[in-house]
Amino acid sequence: MNPMTIFRWLDERLDLRRAKRDLLDREVPDRLTWWHTLGSATLTVFLVQVITGTTLATYYSPSPDHAYDSIQFLGRSVASGALLRGIHHWGASLMVVLIVAHVIRVFAVGAYKYPREINWVLGVGLFLIVMGFSFTGYLLPWDQKAYWATAVGTNIAGTTPLIGGALVALLRGGSELGAATLARFYAFHVLWLPLLLTVLVALHLIVVVRQGIAARPRDLEVGAPRTTRDPSYPSYYRDAYAASKRGGVRFWPDILGKDAIVSASAVLVIVLLAALFGAPLEAPADPTDTAYIPRPEWYFLPVYQLLKLVPGSMESLVAVGVPTVFVVVLLALPFFDRGSKRNLLHRPVAMVSLALVLGGAGFLIGAAGRAPAEAAVEGGGPLTSIQRAGRALYQSQQCGGCHLMAGQGGEEGPDLTAVGLRHSAGWLHSFLESPSRFHAESRMPAYGPPALTHQEIEELAQYLASRRGRGATDVAPQFYDTFPPPRRP
Amino acid sequence: MGMTPGGLVSSGRRAFLKWATGVGGFVSALLAGIPAVRAFLSPTFRHRRQEKWIRLGEVDQFDPEVPTKVDFVDTVADAWVEGRRLRNVWIYTEDNENFTVYNGRCTHLGCNYSLDTDKKVFRCPCHTGFFDLKTGAVLGGPPPRPLDTLAVKVEGGVLYAEYQDYRLGVPDKITA
Repeated sequence: MNPMTIFRWLDERLDLRRAKRDLLDREVPDRLTWWHTLGSATLTVFLVQVITGTTLATYYSPSPDHAYDSIQFLGRSVASGALLRGIHHWGASLMVVLIVAHVIRVFAVGAYKYPREINWVLGVGLFLIVMGFSFTGYLLPWDQKAYWATAVGTNIAGTTPLIGGALVALLRGGSELGAATLARFYAFHVLWLPLLLTVLVALHLIVVVRQGIAARPRDLEVGAPRTTRDPSYPSYYRDAYAASKRGGVRFWPDILGKDAIVSASAVLVIVLLAALFGAPLEAPADPTDTAYIPRPEWYFLPVYQLLKLVPGSMESLVAVGVPTVFVVVLLALPFFDRGSKRNLLHRPVAMVSLALVLGGAGFLIGAAGRAPAEAAVEGGGPLTSIQRAGRALYQSQQCGGCHLMAGQGGEEGPDLTAVGLRHSAGWLHSFLESPSRFHAESRMPAYGPPALTHQEIEELAQYLASRRGRGATDVAPQFYDTFPPPRRP
Repeated sequence: MGMTPGGLVSSGRRAFLKWATGVGGFVSALLAGIPAVRAFLSPTFRHRRQEKWIRLGEVDQFDPEVPTKVDFVDTVADAWVEGRRLRNVWIYTEDNENFTVYNGRCTHLGCNYSLDTDKKVFRCPCHTGFFDLKTGAVLGGPPPRPLDTLAVKVEGGVLYAEYQDYRLGVPDKITA
């Protein structure tokens, strides 16, 4: 049948011509930049994630017994299976890059201001959902990195004041990371989050179509009232925005064409990265492995590195507080920033804030990138059962995030490779319990109850006391144990 | 189709952008779609079957004209789950040089048949099928075809058979 006949048949019933006029032929502001394509590129990558994700789900088993094997099967025995997982992996990273770039663009041109407050809030919601996708998707391969990064992630949630314990139980589906955790992460990753994201994306797009694409800042600044709170601002905006559309630029193909070029390039980059590097898969998750030092995916590195730089007593405040405050500030932004200036150069506070946030995040990612992250190689003889328990605690408490042990780990704290030559188990026990009694400035978190029980502190202390450097078992320890004066009651 | 002073909206530019929309959308769909479709259809692709040679024993341990049953544990790959199945074959020889090895499943519905020592036939207990010891031919009952013979080889005085199941209940010997 002739396609035009079908079109006419449908048009008679659905008024397709009007839909085309309202959606595709609508006039848009003049001189839009390539930066305006980031939103549609994010949406395109999301569609790629849907296509690859639904196909991956047909070969995945969300159970600790089979998850890892099913991923291996996918890579080995399914046509294009490895490529498919690579696309999903790199697509996730690129989606974070694009959504952050999109947020920066909207921030930089003041497009969250009147009348776009609603869409900014919806956008923050979309950003949070994407981070939720990353967090839940990360666990699914059930390899070492997945297991331990999620162990740390859920532990961070556990440091939330008051509701920390309940939050961990809720995230893990129990007290331990295991089968229930994997099942609920899977359910969120493939059911709840896609549903939420789809609804929010639909609203986001409906609002964009209703309000039109944001015009250049300069077209909305000349002759504007000083703040958007001014009663005359809405009418000023209406006129200025209408004027910005007089160039005769249409959504199709003037905007959509650029969108398509950038979106297709993004997809091409993802597929190239997937073909060249694939997706990583480490050894299967081993909850008893004490030597593994986990690192989160790069976009969580700022928070990861921040935790190493703050004093121990401040840790929970920073781990939960900083991201929460950041999100609250983002949500509230269009409601307290009511100046009518939109160009970033005319908004010094906004410019400095943006530079600080980007510079800080970049600095933290860079610093985390330099820290070594390989599995620790330990010296010394066989460990007693108490020392082994201590080693497990060294692992689960992420001591290696800040301390070096046999050349592996972070560099923020002292090297512990030969700590047993300097300190006795007794001293270490007291120190672990309350480092600030020994050094008021110490950034070391206090591990006294309730963080660890005295039994656990003793295990950790005995393990550390057994660390006397590589092959140096015959060297007699020289303890530098000085105790602070006893606390007054 | 207007021409602004800045030359932003020219018909050539619009034609290019329309072309870019089509090509960009098409390329994106292909790049993500092809691996997804290939992976989804993957089970229908022909896979090279892995040969599975079972060691049955040394050639002179089998009694002439008396069938011997050999049980073995087979490892079965069920996608990413590895399973174990107990399987069996029957071995018949007259000269300890030439061997016939039968799949241990009755060709009717897959029950394990056994040796009827009085009547010198294989007898399947489920629906009373009878097979000839030497040829595997159906002597009576509902089986639609003779017993399934397996490929055999002798290496270093040891007898091997390549285990394979065939579709049940049909007159033709078709690999399962």
